[in-house]
Amino acid sequence: MRIKTISRSVDEFTRERSQDLQRVFHNFDPSLRPMEKAVEYQRALTAAKLEKIFARPFVGAMDGHRDGISCMAKNPNYLKGIFSASMDGDIRLWDIATRRTVCQFPGHRGAVRGLTVSTDGNVLVSCGTDCNVRLWSVPRPSLEDSDLSSEKSIEPSAVYTCKNALLAVDHQFEGDLFATAGAQLDIWNHNRSQPVQSFTSGSHSVISVRFNPGEPDILATSSGDNHISIYDIRMSSAARKILMRTKTNSIAWNPMEPMNFTAANEDGNCYSFDGRKNEEAKCVHKDHVSAVMDIDFSPTGREFVTGSYDRSVRIFPYNGGHSREIYHTKRMQRVFCVKYSSDATYVISGSDDTNLRLWKAKASEQLGVILPREQKKHEYNEAVKNRYKHLPEIKRIVRHRHLPKPIYKAKAESRAMNDAKRRKDERRKAHSAPGTVVTESHRTRRIIKEVE
Amino acid sequence: MGGLKRKSSSSAKTLAKSKKKKGPHLPNSILKVIANQKRPLNSDEEDDDVIGSDDEHGGDLYEYEEGVPEEESRKNNRYDRHDNYDYELPEDFEDENVESEDDDDGGNTDNDEAEGDDDDDDRHTRMLQSLTGMPSAAFEGESKSKPVLFTEAYPEGEFNPTRDVLEGKNVLTEEDFLAPLEGTPGYQKTSKQIARMRKDTKHVVHAPLPKPQRERLERKAVIGLVDEEFSKWVHLVKKNREAPTVYFNQDVDLGYSTVGAIASEFQPRTEFEKKMASVLNDSEVSEAHRDDGARLLELNEVSMEDHIKDRNHIAKMRSLLFRHELKSKRIKKIKSKTYHRLKNKDLKNSSLGALMDPEMAKEEAMRQEAKRVEERMTLKHKNTGKWAKRMLSRGLNVKYDGTKAAIAEQLQMNANLSRKMNSMRDGSSSDESDDEEELNDGSDEDTPSRLIAKAKEKTLKALEDDEVPNAGLMSLPFMARAMKKKNEEANEEAKRALEEYEEWENSGGENSKKTVNVSGRRVFGATAKVEAPKESRKDSDNFYDDSDGDNDMPGIEDNNIEPVRDNASPARNTITDTEFDDDVAGNPASKTTFDVAMFASGSWKKMTGSKNTESKKASKKTHAPIPQAQDKKGSRDEESEDSESEAEEMVDGILTSASKETFEVPSQAELINRAFAGDDVLDEFEKDKEEVLNQEVPKPEKPVLVPGWGNWTDIQRKRGISKQMVQKHEAEKKEWEQGLKTRKDARLKHVIISEKVDKKAEKLHTTTLPFPYTSKEVFEHSMRMPIGPEFNPSTIVGELNRPEVVKKTGVIIKPVKFEEVNPNDEVDDEHPRNHQKQKPKKKTSRRQGKVKSK
Repeated sequence: MRIKTISRSVDEFTRERSQDLQRVFHNFDPSLRPMEKAVEYQRALTAAKLEKIFARPFVGAMDGHRDGISCMAKNPNYLKGIFSASMDGDIRLWDIATRRTVCQFPGHRGAVRGLTVSTDGNVLVSCGTDCNVRLWSVPRPSLEDSDLSSEKSIEPSAVYTCKNALLAVDHQFEGDLFATAGAQLDIWNHNRSQPVQSFTSGSHSVISVRFNPGEPDILATSSGDNHISIYDIRMSSAARKILMRTKTNSIAWNPMEPMNFTAANEDGNCYSFDGRKNEEAKCVHKDHVSAVMDIDFSPTGREFVTGSYDRSVRIFPYNGGHSREIYHTKRMQRVFCVKYSSDATYVISGSDDTNLRLWKAKASEQLGVILPREQKKHEYNEAVKNRYKHLPEIKRIVRHRHLPKPIYKAKAESRAMNDAKRRKDERRKAHSAPGTVVTESHRTRRIIKEVE
Repeated sequence: MGGLKRKSSSSAKTLAKSKKKKGPHLPNSILKVIANQKRPLNSDEEDDDVIGSDDEHGGDLYEYEEGVPEEESRKNNRYDRHDNYDYELPEDFEDENVESEDDDDGGNTDNDEAEGDDDDDDRHTRMLQSLTGMPSAAFEGESKSKPVLFTEAYPEGEFNPTRDVLEGKNVLTEEDFLAPLEGTPGYQKTSKQIARMRKDTKHVVHAPLPKPQRERLERKAVIGLVDEEFSKWVHLVKKNREAPTVYFNQDVDLGYSTVGAIASEFQPRTEFEKKMASVLNDSEVSEAHRDDGARLLELNEVSMEDHIKDRNHIAKMRSLLFRHELKSKRIKKIKSKTYHRLKNKDLKNSSLGALMDPEMAKEEAMRQEAKRVEERMTLKHKNTGKWAKRMLSRGLNVKYDGTKAAIAEQLQMNANLSRKMNSMRDGSSSDESDDEEELNDGSDEDTPSRLIAKAKEKTLKALEDDEVPNAGLMSLPFMARAMKKKNEEANEEAKRALEEYEEWENSGGENSKKTVNVSGRRVFGATAKVEAPKESRKDSDNFYDDSDGDNDMPGIEDNNIEPVRDNASPARNTITDTEFDDDVAGNPASKTTFDVAMFASGSWKKMTGSKNTESKKASKKTHAPIPQAQDKKGSRDEESEDSESEAEEMVDGILTSASKETFEVPSQAELINRAFAGDDVLDEFEKDKEEVLNQEVPKPEKPVLVPGWGNWTDIQRKRGISKQMVQKHEAEKKEWEQGLKTRKDARLKHVIISEKVDKKAEKLHTTTLPFPYTSKEVFEHSMRMPIGPEFNPSTIVGELNRPEVVKKTGVIIKPVKFEEVNPNDEVDDEHPRNHQKQKPKKKTSRRQGKVKSK
């Protein structure tokens, strides 16, 4: 009889300290572990369930405003600061870490509709229905500010007056120009009291404006006559115009893909466009049951967050048709503005109930310092879950979200309506001569034309 | 007259044109006002005219129309006043005016000429001036031309062309304008220019297009530029999308990078810090440092008082030290014992007062004692601990100094504790220890014998009290039987052991030592004493049939036992005895004898005529010791006889089987048939298959009439089974047949393919192909290998599990920056190790790319 003995050299297997990790040798022969798939599936299932258990996205609320929040701006240079403005003309700077007001910027009479910060984080630009554009110098963040929490108020460094009420403002990325939207699109310089350039188109007012972060001279606007336009501020006229069936409330450029932008539409969908080909949307993001009020891209360019009139915040993948996450609370009313934090970890929403709310971008993410082994474990769980996400049970668990009753009902209703419509279309198509009835794809259905 | 008029009107027009070029563009409304002011009389007609002239797109060429005959114009009584006011400008005036305007000499001279006319004009000009903010000169000409003749009822315009134009004659050309200029200084130049312009058709400026069209064209141009701008990003975006992982945590700004940077930010806050800072940053000091340093000495000046104070202090300390030394020297010199004893006592009283207290001392002693006892009991510090053992066994005490020291320390502690123990008991237990020492001294030789004696006693005791418990589990019959069997075995062994002991005692100490030291072949021999019979039994079991084996055993035993009987020794187990005897007889010889015996036995086998190697081996094993004994005891004959008979038996057993094989050579098929005579595999398989089929596609039951149900009356009985039931059965049967047909193994006779659905395995499968994948194979390939740390080496686990986006909380992510990407480099960027994970990813990205490029 042959006896196989395990021979291990003492030197290799002895730890110097009791804290050292024990060296483990593995035989990776797959025949030794025949159940690996089942094992990993089980792990994926557990990970999916754990994700559900640990999903606590709501971090905190910031209250202080006396009217609904109308707009927000994040400081591109300072992670903890966020500006918000309300319908009563109040502008505040918040410290996200402590969730307290750092200072206030009083001056606007009437609702503030637009807020933006220069890239270096020094100048805050606000505009509102009082036809004023106000420039403020942002107080430098320091350690003492967060300690004191006394609400200082600051005088504007400049006030420029226009003829019409202003509805939106956005600052160029790494430049000193900003654009205001109102009856017309105006391009301003920090130091001039008159717009440097203005674009007029049609009789309707411009609702929103957003500069392209990758291409600082290109901006997109949406107007009340259902147009989306792309401008190059070095040129005298609009480059592209898309006419849609419904109004677009807000636009966000993808910060990692400068040709792509996504439009938040009044019909509850978001449409991703390629700036070069506008006859059809590249992707239609459906899930909201009411108008999408605001949209903001994650700085990673892989996701974007939307706030809707249906009192919910959703996070979509940039190329996915449906949201991966929905955030709602009982007290959150119509969401008018949302922002993704500059490190892509948090989401901030401002709503009609005068509160700003801070959410985690990944609901079950563990915050704080994570040990490397913990990190590895999280990564493995995520990878395994991602791998087996197609399997029915895991899919069900991962996809399940608890919805507020109104949204749930509205969704069911719209689904029924859509189904009915689809059925009708199918029948119509079946009973008419081939080729006479053409079903339009979702991507082109809501687009009337690209204006030549 | 007509010619005159023409000229005058043309000059007026040129005036207007030149004015237009010079002055700002006035809105229509203002011009209207101007016109009204100018011509209060004929307001209706002139309004249109002015507006028409204002129109930019109204064509540059002005067609002259011959006036309506005066008779006609008079009909409507409009020109009554003009009749009276019949004033015509002289010809030369016209020419001058035109030229002056063209050459920009200054039209003022002309104005001066016509100045004395009216005050109204001046006022009007002033008014215009105030309205438009232009110099009055701009309006002078117009005001001058105010008394121009009105020769037509309707102003000329787009909708009201003159008759000449309509008839196609008398069209104004450049020559008409040039003719009067002939001979003037600039004539040559202008004529040349005009000639050039006529030839050059390329540079003709057309009238601008309508606004919407123009805007569309403009947009087109802008679109082209913007698209170009966007297109330059395509490679970068593609690269980003195709990358398995995008990293966003690269540019982390940690703030301060050096200690110096941190120190430079330091601000003194507390009192002390401020004081220090004031001293350190003193301008005088720093200046002195910056200079040659000579001034530092000045700054370092110490006052006389301070100096004296310091010196005194040092002197005092020195003198104290000196006195102390003297004192200690003196004390050291004292030789009185009493003094020292008293001094020590004082010292003890002061410091170890606690110990001097009897109770405390007792406690202390108790504690010490407990420690010692513990040490004695556990030998805690004599390298008996788990740790110490491990360290010693692995030789780490040699390797690491720390370990070595720790072990040495333990030993030292042990030594201390044990020494104290001795010292404590030195009076009382010295005898005992002596005894023990003596015992230890003698133990080198006597212990085995002692131990053996003890063992003997114990075995005897064990033999005596073999009691079977009467109650509980052990009282059950089968348990009792098992116990009995066990006991018997144990008894036998005990007896054997006893015999061994006796032998041992007989042989003496030296032998015992040697038996311990056996090696090589000796070991074989020694172990054989117990195991040989067992082995032989096993061998016989293996090689021969059961019947053979049974016979075998007693034979061997007989063989072994007989010589022993001859020897009249009390032992039963002969093999052991012979072995021991062998040892006793002479160790050096034993080896050789054994070899000889083997050889001898081999030869003897040959003699007996068995040629089977197997039997040879077996016999070798079983009979090896026997010849040894024969040599010794000289009882060879008997032995050989017995063994011969035994060998014959064995040989017979083998021979009989061998002889059958050699004589008949059956065919292969026959052999197989014979070999598998009993089992009908095909039939069994068919039955199996039928069973499986029945299980997976159950056969429908035939409808039967249950007695008492539906067959009461004769009619019912005649009718038999109801039609409905039959139909149902038919349908079921059809279904069943269909089910059997559609099975994968329906046509495969010798195969069963199970189509049973495993519910547990089902959850590991998807019903449809997931989105990014286009083929089943690729998807399955991607799922084939596990990604966990248990299944993969740690070097690639990280890569396998890496998420798509790696970012760090708290690090601001900047938007993309343009950088040139060489599209050919993409392949190189991929990590070869990442291959497995990258494949599906790439698929998706490609797909997205397609979507993009649509």
